[in-house]
Amino acid sequence: MVTDSASASSAWFRACIDGFMKGSRMEHGSTSNERRIADLTILYEVSCALQNTLEEDKILYMILVGLTHGRGLGFNRAFILLTDPVEHTLKGRLAIGPSSPEEASSIWMELRDKYRSLGELLQQVPHTAIKRDLRVNQIVSRLRVPLSDTEHCLLQILRSRMPDEASGGVFKARGLAVDPRTVEILGSADFAATPLFHGEHDFGLLLADNFITHAPIEPDSLRLLQIYAQAASTAIHNASLYRLLRERVVQCETSNRTLRESQQRLLHAERLSIIGKMAALLAHEIRTPLVAIGGFARKLLRATDEADPRRDDLKIIVEEVRRLELLIGEVLGFSKVSKLDMESTDIGDLVRSVIASMAETLEKASVKAVVHIDPRLPTAMADKFQLKQALINLIVNAVDAMPSGGTLTVTALSEGEYLEIGIVDTGVGIAQEHWSKLFAPFFTTKASGTGLGLAIVSQVIESHKGSLRFESIPGQGTSFHIRLARNPAIEEIEEAAPADVTTKGLLP
Amino acid sequence: MKTILVVDDDKNLRRLYKAELEAEGYRVVLAENGLEALEVVSREIPDLVLMDIRMPEMDGLEALAHALKKHGRIPILLNSAYSSYQDNFLAWAAEGYLIKSSDLEPLKQKIREVFASQPAFDQK
Repeated sequence: MVTDSASASSAWFRACIDGFMKGSRMEHGSTSNERRIADLTILYEVSCALQNTLEEDKILYMILVGLTHGRGLGFNRAFILLTDPVEHTLKGRLAIGPSSPEEASSIWMELRDKYRSLGELLQQVPHTAIKRDLRVNQIVSRLRVPLSDTEHCLLQILRSRMPDEASGGVFKARGLAVDPRTVEILGSADFAATPLFHGEHDFGLLLADNFITHAPIEPDSLRLLQIYAQAASTAIHNASLYRLLRERVVQCETSNRTLRESQQRLLHAERLSIIGKMAALLAHEIRTPLVAIGGFARKLLRATDEADPRRDDLKIIVEEVRRLELLIGEVLGFSKVSKLDMESTDIGDLVRSVIASMAETLEKASVKAVVHIDPRLPTAMADKFQLKQALINLIVNAVDAMPSGGTLTVTALSEGEYLEIGIVDTGVGIAQEHWSKLFAPFFTTKASGTGLGLAIVSQVIESHKGSLRFESIPGQGTSFHIRLARNPAIEEIEEAAPADVTTKGLLP
Repeated sequence: MKTILVVDDDKNLRRLYKAELEAEGYRVVLAENGLEALEVVSREIPDLVLMDIRMPEMDGLEALAHALKKHGRIPILLNSAYSSYQDNFLAWAAEGYLIKSSDLEPLKQKIREVFASQPAFDQK
């Protein structure tokens, strides 16, 4: 790598020597026709090389090589400044050339016998050669002009899209003074500047000078520089399009890969889930015959005389069945069943959809619905289906409590980590003697009720780790308030072991 | 003598439960599914129902809901190979929930407890 970059740097110097030794590139042709052919050859070689490259840094480097090569435009030094849309600045990006006459002459003398053509040099630009000329690159990195400084001479050239040549610190065509800071940074008041642009985009500027030889910049050189800048602009534009394309391709490839991976994970999960379901099904199916086998074996064992040798055989059946039953209990223990299907839920939407689905019922009962939902209501983890069922049951009760119509007020409010849903009616109210039995299953005061409505509500809220309270004034109405945590701590329910006995609180 | 209605679609288990519960001194009547169980209950209200859950025609939970709604206070013990139905709100209304096991002692114990705690059911 070191060899590569060193040889590329030296290649540049060799090229400079060529230009220097011959005095100027003008000597390529003695007649104007020959010179025109030489100019076209330079442009052709540079354009060909640029078209074959899409790496941005390499393109910038090649543009500079073309500007400074003896067989190219033959400038001593060249600088590229590009606009940075993020920093909103015209910034020096890359430069090429010696920083002092001493540096130049020592290398020129050393390499005078070796030579490479421009085309050959351009084709062999190694990546590591870029920014090898440390001092000029230090210089270029100091060149920074904020785009807001619209009166700055360099920005004026950029906007005008016309090249100009500074001589003695004044741009000739414009009669515009070069700002002192630029002269100080470049260490020179004589240089050519030409804008880089393509379509609507102003990319930046090319600066070139003869810092070492102090050779004057010919009017023809400036014209050639302008044409050259157009080829360079196209190359920069293409490279930026290419980079954009590459980014998009990488994005596409990444999302394709992600998609494929998640598809595979899904398939795998599905397969596991099927296996889990099969195991559970099988375990349940086996349990019933095991009860029969083991149950009858126990019965026979009890009926068999203590001295009967068949007792041992029966004991084996009893014990083996018991072992299998425990095993099945373990298998089912692994296939945990989630009691709730919790997901992030927009409670406001849920309330609205419940009211909308009951619009006809409400209208038929002459009940006016008033809905108030906190506009800043956050989402909550909830089982949509179950919660919806609970709300429907409460609203049905409210409507039933208002046989001659009334107002149903449904609210959803945010209270820190909690949400509160209120269902308030203007109905007949609940007699106090019924309060204690209100949530018991099968308790009802309705002629045609199942007595399960509030039991379901209570179970749903309990399984959401929420709380439910009600207030009722007979003759005035009833209000139910559901309080839900935004992120309740719900554990998974495990399958109970066999022989597990549970008793629940019972009938009223 | 207490009468127990055993509801199970598995004929071997019906036979097992009948034998074992009769040995405990109970009178046992049988039904193959929820629908049959409701027919039996409409003729004669048993002192206790031992009910399987997963059965053809009508499952145990539905039968339980119908029976309780129509006849009120019948103690019903659910007896299932599945534990998952414990989460079902209908199962709440049952006197107890047992997971089927070849060891019938917990079942017999539970039945004794139910009868001991609810002497009112005896005055039929």
